[in-house]
Amino acid sequence: MEILVCVKQVPDDSVKIGLNSSGKPAVDGVTMVANAFDTYALEMATRLKEANEGTITVVAIGPEKAKDALKSCLAVGASKAYIVNEDGLGDMDSLTTGYTLSKAVAKIEELNGAKFDIIFCGKETTDCTTGMVGAQLAERLGIGCVTGIVDIELKDGGISVKQETEEGYNVVETSLPAVVTVNKPAYDPRYPTMKSKMAARKIPIGEISKADLGVEDDKIVPSVKVISLSEPPKKQAGVKINEKTFEDTMAKAMEILKDAKVF
Amino acid sequence: MGYILTEEGKELVATVKEFCENEVKEQCKEFDMSGEFPENIVKMGAEMGLSAIEVPEQYGGVGIDAVTCAAICEEMAKADAGFYTTMSATGLALRPVLIAGSEEQKKWACDIVLNGGQAAFGLTEPMAGSDSSNTKTVAVKDDDGYVLNGRKCFITNGGIADFYVIFAMTNKSRGIRGISAFIVPKGTEGLSVGNHENKMGIRTSNTTDVVLEDVRLPHSALLGKEGMGFMIAMKTLDMSRAYVGAGAVGIAQRCIEEAVKYSKQRITFGSPISNHQAIQFMLADMDIKTETARAMVVQAVLRQEQGLSFAKESAIAKCYAGDIAVQVALDAIQILGGYGYSREYPVEKLLRDAKIFQIYEGTNQIQRSVIAKSVLKGM
Repeated sequence: MEILVCVKQVPDDSVKIGLNSSGKPAVDGVTMVANAFDTYALEMATRLKEANEGTITVVAIGPEKAKDALKSCLAVGASKAYIVNEDGLGDMDSLTTGYTLSKAVAKIEELNGAKFDIIFCGKETTDCTTGMVGAQLAERLGIGCVTGIVDIELKDGGISVKQETEEGYNVVETSLPAVVTVNKPAYDPRYPTMKSKMAARKIPIGEISKADLGVEDDKIVPSVKVISLSEPPKKQAGVKINEKTFEDTMAKAMEILKDAKVF
Repeated sequence: MGYILTEEGKELVATVKEFCENEVKEQCKEFDMSGEFPENIVKMGAEMGLSAIEVPEQYGGVGIDAVTCAAICEEMAKADAGFYTTMSATGLALRPVLIAGSEEQKKWACDIVLNGGQAAFGLTEPMAGSDSSNTKTVAVKDDDGYVLNGRKCFITNGGIADFYVIFAMTNKSRGIRGISAFIVPKGTEGLSVGNHENKMGIRTSNTTDVVLEDVRLPHSALLGKEGMGFMIAMKTLDMSRAYVGAGAVGIAQRCIEEAVKYSKQRITFGSPISNHQAIQFMLADMDIKTETARAMVVQAVLRQEQGLSFAKESAIAKCYAGDIAVQVALDAIQILGGYGYSREYPVEKLLRDAKIFQIYEGTNQIQRSVIAKSVLKGM
């Protein structure tokens, strides 16, 4: 089974990021990591590979430095990696990213000499949070897509996945090839071992340029225009309830909720 | 500040740091209180290969350079010195096998450690700590092999080891030259685990008596030759001491981090206490000591790696780092004041953890003897 996991390198999401003086996200000096949802996708793909068989390839679009994210993926399940050099691709939105990735998929399939059976994406990135790239990619490839999955297994030559919903989950079955986007599953991504970390360093990362992709220039013009960015409003001070008895405290809390029209 | 690492080393240390921050540091607080063994955390650490960092490449190890190994030890101890002790005690027990074992023994032991197994180094006895010539455990040779009887105490990983390296007298009349070293696999008949120590610090590590009652071993269990045991043990300790120093440096560094964090938050006389020179000078002294100890650790491990003499340097690194870890922990408590003395805050644990670094793997008095001997011989 040939598996592809799409990975984006993003600023460490445990760091609170504000805006700099020119109104852009102040990410200088913030550690860049593989997007958390992409690491969930990779872990899910790795478990699927371990339970069955197959090869996992990872791909990222980004600068040279994004190779670090790919290296970390090579230490926890992936065995091949490609970077699509962002030079010449301009500002990207989810539409152009989906298109560019579809071109990258074709190129990697050509280089690997095999078609991908399943393409995993995180359900969204922790920096832009559009949650659209996976679906855009599937559309461009003309194959099916299931979003927000938390579990996957092979079934009757296709896959059966659990898609998380507000109430629980849907069980969705689809034929392959398909794109799946991954939500946080019940498990955490594994840590690399000292051995896998060292081995990952020795795996060469394939480089793909804009020219290799054969992208059409009019299709990499972003449709989304960012007019301005603003920081989220500061958290308001909460209400302190300090009644004498537990009953009074509860009654007061209910009253506040009622006034706020929570129910 | 810190170690000068290769790119590869930086990546490994960052991986260990992330693991320790997420899975060890906070979790071990509870285990320190209860004295329970953090089995799952140790299992995760072993799976990552943290107890196998010293396995040579030729036996399937990763081949990590000495300075990176020291930095990894520091990261582990910074999160929890008991966790560090568990991981490094396996490396300590592996060393005698690597020093004196046959190819078959080396391969066997390395495979166990690489697969996440633990090991224990059994030298200390109730009446033979620093003075190994008083070893009471005996190994009597017969046609089939050896029969071991005796009791070891304060054995790190005693209750969790997959194999033990046990030092026993094969010829009492020869004193320390009558000591031999044996590999004893877990589950060998007659081998049992005694009392688990309720310790002051490193409470997340497993420390037990190991009892040997008519433990029958084949000839192939002997490491090297009969009578080489003391030499093997001393060489082992010479080699491991610098890394023990790295563990102590980890505690000292954690003390600085906790003290700095607190001193920036705590306001007295209208200003954070970090603005007061009295606190600044304490922090500076803590850092001077920690950086100096770290530099000595690096010096010792590099000499070892480059094939130069290192016994004295290792002893200095261990002794100095152990001493300053205790001093720096005391200072951290002082900076945190009443909170430093409270179990709600992390620094009192650091003092309890630091103290063992003046005691185990050769007391700091023994280290001074080693250093003095070298100084006197050299001039």
